[in-house]
Amino acid sequence: MASTDVKTPDHPVTQVVAPTSRWKTIVGNQQFILLVVWIAMIIGFSLKAPIFFSSGVAGNILLDWAPLVLIALGELIVVISAGIDLSVGATVGFSGVIGAFAMKALTSGGTGTVPTLVVGVLVCVLVGSAVGLINASLINYARLVPFIATLVTLGAASGLSLVLTKGAPIMSGPADAITLVIPWIGPFSKPVIVVVLITGVIWAFLHKARFGRYTYAIGSNAFAARAAGINVKRHITKVYVLSGFLAGLAGFFFYLRLNGGAPTSGLGMELDAIAAVVIGGAALAGGVGRVSGTVLGALILTTVTSGLIIIGVDPQWKRVVVAALIAIAATLQAFRKSEGGAS
Amino acid sequence: MRASRTRTAGVIAVAGVSSVLLAACGSSSSSSTVAASSGTGSAAAASCNGKKIAFVMGAESDPFFQAMKVGATDETAKQGATLIWQGDPKEYSPATQIPVVDQVLAQQPDALVLIPTDPDALQAEVTKAVAANVVVANVDTHVTDLSQVLTFITGDNADGGAKAADAIATAIGYKAGTKYKVVVGLSSETATTNVARLEGFKKAIADKYAGVEIVDVAYSQSKPEVANTNVNNWLTKYPDLNGIFAIDGTNGQGAAAALQAKGLTGKIALVGYDAYPDNVKLIKTGVFTALVAQDPATEARQAVDAVCTKLSGGDVSGIKHEVVIPNVVLDKNSSDADLQKYTYVA
Repeated sequence: MASTDVKTPDHPVTQVVAPTSRWKTIVGNQQFILLVVWIAMIIGFSLKAPIFFSSGVAGNILLDWAPLVLIALGELIVVISAGIDLSVGATVGFSGVIGAFAMKALTSGGTGTVPTLVVGVLVCVLVGSAVGLINASLINYARLVPFIATLVTLGAASGLSLVLTKGAPIMSGPADAITLVIPWIGPFSKPVIVVVLITGVIWAFLHKARFGRYTYAIGSNAFAARAAGINVKRHITKVYVLSGFLAGLAGFFFYLRLNGGAPTSGLGMELDAIAAVVIGGAALAGGVGRVSGTVLGALILTTVTSGLIIIGVDPQWKRVVVAALIAIAATLQAFRKSEGGAS
Repeated sequence: MRASRTRTAGVIAVAGVSSVLLAACGSSSSSSTVAASSGTGSAAAASCNGKKIAFVMGAESDPFFQAMKVGATDETAKQGATLIWQGDPKEYSPATQIPVVDQVLAQQPDALVLIPTDPDALQAEVTKAVAANVVVANVDTHVTDLSQVLTFITGDNADGGAKAADAIATAIGYKAGTKYKVVVGLSSETATTNVARLEGFKKAIADKYAGVEIVDVAYSQSKPEVANTNVNNWLTKYPDLNGIFAIDGTNGQGAAAALQAKGLTGKIALVGYDAYPDNVKLIKTGVFTALVAQDPATEARQAVDAVCTKLSGGDVSGIKHEVVIPNVVLDKNSSDADLQKYTYVA
């Protein structure tokens, strides 16, 4: 069996052609349901507060969506490989803080905005990738399960951020960097457009390239993947480094947005990322999940946040809404699985 | 197989060594013993020569306690005493603080300056210390029974909230009969500092600025990006917003970034809390209208001073049982000397 034969087992019902099943196919398509839910939310919030349907609110939502979708996409790839990455939230804060130190030093040395930001983004993604590499090493060589390995780096990264900053945000970088997050085309700021492009690249990686096929194969059955000739350890390393890389980028995004790096940034954000991934239809058991689902999952989460603030409901309710969405998404997943098993 | 076992052992060894290094790193920042330098110019004022003064604070990661450490280090050196500075690296909780107090008491200090993270939970520790003839003072917060405590020195959070209301009213040019809208960004619904500041703010508005309406409050869970999201959405929701009270450093950072990104610097009054160095710089550029600053260094100095007077057998009649150190409002009219004096130095 060639390793490239492994299919994404995400649409088990697509080959069913009976007319009664076509409706089932549409309803069973998680992305379609998510789209409907998202549009319904927009209509609901707009009816309650017309200002919700505005470019301003769209800009706010996108500003929240961009860093979340970055780490959620990393999490998606890890989850498809049947792993979990709990360290992404802490990595966002840690990379942002280290990047902020670098940018502060450059700025005080008289370096201009553009070279400072270039160095800053490189430092952030390097720190993020390094955390990913440590995760992969702990999993591959110290034989820790991903949950424990990434729990270790979560603790170390968040602790180090606090120790290094003594709790205070690190600012005093290029003062005009924050102007980058001002909407540029419609509600889209330049960094958000970059994130949209990155999302496209990840989509191609996961759904059109060998990288994706290997990831699905390992997540579906690591033993079979190994037998098929895939270097599982090397691929797992790539998966966690990519997740760390994306978390580092999210850290840089927060830096731009907040004009500084804060040790508490990203705190607990791994749970938002996992929520986006699960709502988007991925299975924590591995082998299942799509970029479009995660993108919509993240969009729904950030729309709920802005929506609740705009209609004047305590944003703490977001947790309850998210909990309900996760329950529904997981139930749909379970139904589809049992249906797939029956057919 | 053998190679992989060796490699595994190597990884574990590296992980072990680095965690020890990290721990060493961590402990050096969360506890330190500062020996007195006798023979310095200030030795004349020394009344506490050779005494050990222990400080157990809330959470090392908080710049507030970093600033307090500066005052404590200064004053103990001046008095010729040795400072034992201890506390949990990041968690403000009695569960982590009680073992630290036990460990400190085992070092038999002459005095304990305690910032209790819970009034009831730390009571037994104070009783234990007093029974061992250790002089106890409280700073910032206090234990339930103050009768055993030499002195309690604190900032006033309710007063800070009231001063923030005054600063916003001044910035928006408050006139009776006109309506104004303000919002308040908090970190937590339960933290006593947040609650006291909000109450002080609300009371001052009710008493003096009836035209000001608090249209919204939201919580950031100590995350600046969440504070930023809250303010971004408020700015969309209330295009006629007049002012923002950011109740702590985290909310200040989030709100300042939102105003800068939307080009509203100076158009909406932003009053923050706590004089983090980077926030003080933003007063000069007009992003912050004002910052309410506490004076943790002075709190620490006065506590050290009081316990030294007691330890040296001096006149204790001058020691007040409760001292409230007023907050200071820093704004663009503050002198450079004041800005420097009240900025939390770490």
